[in-house]
Amino acid sequence: MFQSFGPDDLLLIAQGAVVTLVICSLAVVFGGTLGLALGLMSAGRIAILRWISAVYVGAIRGVPVLLIIFFVYFGLPLAVPGTDVPDYLAAVIALSVFASAYVSEIVRGSIAAIPRGQFEAAEALGLSYWSRYRFVILPQATRIIVPPGIGFLVVLIKDSSLVAAIGLMDLARSGNIVASLTANPILSYLVVGAVYFVICYTASAFARRYERRLSTRAVAPGVGDSLVVGSGVEK
Amino acid sequence: MPLYFGDLIPYAGELFTGLLISLGITAVAAVAGGLLAIGLYLGRASRRALPRRLAGAYIEVIRNTPLLLQLYLIYFALPQIGVNFDPITAGIIALTLNNAAYVAEIYRAGFESIPTGLNEAAAALGLSRRSTFVDVQLVPALRNVIPPLTNQIILLFLASSIASIVAVPELMHVMMGITSETFRTVETFVVGGLLYFGVAFLLAMTSKLIETRVIRWKVA
Repeated sequence: MFQSFGPDDLLLIAQGAVVTLVICSLAVVFGGTLGLALGLMSAGRIAILRWISAVYVGAIRGVPVLLIIFFVYFGLPLAVPGTDVPDYLAAVIALSVFASAYVSEIVRGSIAAIPRGQFEAAEALGLSYWSRYRFVILPQATRIIVPPGIGFLVVLIKDSSLVAAIGLMDLARSGNIVASLTANPILSYLVVGAVYFVICYTASAFARRYERRLSTRAVAPGVGDSLVVGSGVEK
Repeated sequence: MPLYFGDLIPYAGELFTGLLISLGITAVAAVAGGLLAIGLYLGRASRRALPRRLAGAYIEVIRNTPLLLQLYLIYFALPQIGVNFDPITAGIIALTLNNAAYVAEIYRAGFESIPTGLNEAAAALGLSRRSTFVDVQLVPALRNVIPPLTNQIILLFLASSIASIVAVPELMHVMMGITSETFRTVETFVVGGLLYFGVAFLLAMTSKLIETRVIRWKVA
């Protein structure tokens, strides 16, 4: 009745890993884009946009990821009658919504970490809003975003396991299936756990290395730095 | 189907009970995990290699695998070797073990942020060992630890919803039950979401209050 743990089971787990990586990548693309927009909104000067962004981010960060996943999967079809949200689409939407709120916070924090002088200099040069961000602020913010961004990526990969609850055959659910096929849950979950660990640990290790490189390589002082009050000595 | 919250009124008691269970397992896991984390931190900061490696490996493994999987292992896999837990116990164990790894890292960051120069200064001033530890290390470290610690408790509370997957009768599980009985899915999720958000918000406010009122007077 039960098969012993074999290559077929490893294949199933590998397929699950692919599903997990695909939905997380899509969530990074969509959630990252939306998060960048929300982050720019909250760092901007228009009060209503700041307010919208703050309410959205606060609401998403204040509820469990599982609730977002269930809401998209069970709730959306009711809100728009006659539609049916397939599990993979629900997973990508829910994880994107979840990711956007966190990415927004990371983007906002990174922009806030850019010295004010940079904004003032860009404005003094007569750059438009978009040019200011495109050529001056975001290139510098990107370097600051990477470590916490990867930290969040690890959180996203781990939390993406919750889509197993709506039946999507991701890495976590493949572990469930293999556990019941082989009647060897300990081995099945340990293998699945090892796959998660390898993915997440690689990402964390990369972030740590990047951070070390950032902190060891001295940033060349900008020409105007010494002229700006609040830069240099106090830091 | 237009939104109608009236159908949920008979379930108010159930929702409240679910919220209390969520808060209960969060509280137990927060305290137990916080204590276990002291051991992990001491292991990690130890001069001996073995405890350092063991604690380090534990922390890395927990932090790089999903809580859901840890719960699966405890609830579905351990019975294979004759260890059985009821859902609530399994949920509390998983949340505690998970929380401990994160809190140990918070303790570490808190103590590491104290410059070593302060210890030397304390020695130069002739402070006793006890006074050096308490006044120069512990109190400033606590000041650094409390904000991330309360943030971790909020994350833990939200993560406690995962226990619903092994049928712990907490808030998320109650919500799923209500949706299948009333088909008021959106309404139930709005109410449940507000409950989660409300608690998370209150915890965040408490954290701010502690940061500004309680810790400030201890600033060295």
